[in-house]
Amino acid sequence: MNWIVNLVLFICVVPSAVIMFLLGFPKNPEKKKMIFGVRNNPRFHEGEAAGKVLEITASCRKAALIITVFVCLMSIVLLFLPPTRFTVLAWTLLVYALFLVAIPFGKGNTELKSLKKQLGITRKGVVYADLTNTSAVHGLKKPWLILPNAVCLAVSVFAILADTGVIKIAETLACERGALTLMSQSFLFLGIIIIPIAFMMDNVKNAVISKDSNINANYNRAKKKCWADLLVATSWANALYVAVYTVLCMFIYNDIVLVTGVLVYTLILVSCVAIGVKTQMTVEKRYERDTDLELLDDDDYWILGMFYFNPNDTRLNVEKRFGYGGTVNIAHPAGKVIMIVTAVLLLATIGFLIWAAVSGNMDMLSVNEPFWGPAIRTSGQNL
Amino acid sequence: MIIKIDEYSDVPIYMQIRNQIVMGISSGELKGGEQLPTVRALALEIGINTMTVSKTYQLLKSEGYIMTDRKNGARVRENIARSGVLSGENKTELRRIVSEARLSGVSKSELKKLIDEFY
Repeated sequence: MNWIVNLVLFICVVPSAVIMFLLGFPKNPEKKKMIFGVRNNPRFHEGEAAGKVLEITASCRKAALIITVFVCLMSIVLLFLPPTRFTVLAWTLLVYALFLVAIPFGKGNTELKSLKKQLGITRKGVVYADLTNTSAVHGLKKPWLILPNAVCLAVSVFAILADTGVIKIAETLACERGALTLMSQSFLFLGIIIIPIAFMMDNVKNAVISKDSNINANYNRAKKKCWADLLVATSWANALYVAVYTVLCMFIYNDIVLVTGVLVYTLILVSCVAIGVKTQMTVEKRYERDTDLELLDDDDYWILGMFYFNPNDTRLNVEKRFGYGGTVNIAHPAGKVIMIVTAVLLLATIGFLIWAAVSGNMDMLSVNEPFWGPAIRTSGQNL
Repeated sequence: MIIKIDEYSDVPIYMQIRNQIVMGISSGELKGGEQLPTVRALALEIGINTMTVSKTYQLLKSEGYIMTDRKNGARVRENIARSGVLSGENKTELRRIVSEARLSGVSKSELKKLIDEFY
């Protein structure tokens, strides 16, 4: 059964590695708005600076390519290895290894910033705001986000009732007692996580790219609509999937159903994200020619091009410069808490997995016998 | 209307916002009765404290450029009072600009041409 986990991890890790490489290290960086989290500047492409920029981008791209190829090859090797506690540990470490591409990205960011200083490019401290569009541009239709989660909640309640025997559709449930509840609760939890993300992305600061307020409004509306569509589509996919899958698992529950279910769900999510990224890129490309304003230079507030630390900015959420989505301002009190909690969780996960692998307790994480299994069975017998 | 804030300028941020809103009203970019963003929205957009924006709005209100009420927020005043005279503060500022222009070798006609362009 563990080969399913191998397959799912393979499907998640390889495309993620490729997407991170393509987004962070594009082939023609001179045509992009950002190069390694540093705002692209026409002076980067004049005279000696052009050669230097090409040198920096080529060396960082090469390093990132080596890391990406390594991650992909390791994924292929792990896919065919027999499942042991060390394989699980290796997979987890490989997931973290995905973020190694951040090293050449950070290196490129630092080198470009120093090049900027050499060239004397400074427009620091200039902020634009469009009075006409302030807080008026949104793309999210809230009911479309709440509705799928309501469906998820309804399915979750149904699963609890079916598990406890209050509702009897089949004579005996095909899956273990408690499995339906756990599965539906997990999907509900995922759906609920999407809600604050959607609100955060819908309220992100409007970018000012042009002197024309209409262009700014259309650009920001298009970008926010992309985000809203992606997150609403994901919520609906989540809700419909859990509804179908819960009913299916009441009657049929075997390896084929489990594998097909996991694969379909992963494919739906990956497709949603891929379409979202593509649409976002199309919007950026469309509005490139309408950009007629010298843009805000806040490169120095982006540590390694990835972490935003600006004590002069009261905003909590800002758009990411590496990858896709948003991040928090670490100088903001809430941003500090979020970053500390994230760092502690990441370190604790690595620590726990290493401990589990070394001490031989990795079997507790088995898919066949999850650590909550005995507890469920005991409570099921009590019912 | 686009406003530009220079965080490193000697002019305080609330004054920079005030000046640009006044210039916007004068140039017609902001029309009479036009809704201005809420204090919170503008503060979030620029990334400054709400008190700074509040101070700007209070100043503009006291100068008679905008009106505020709880229901509609801040709006540009339809009929701005025309006293027909330049305030003492503005006269001093104009004097400083003229003096600097003279010292820089800008001719009177050139200065008049600029005034005509901006007026």
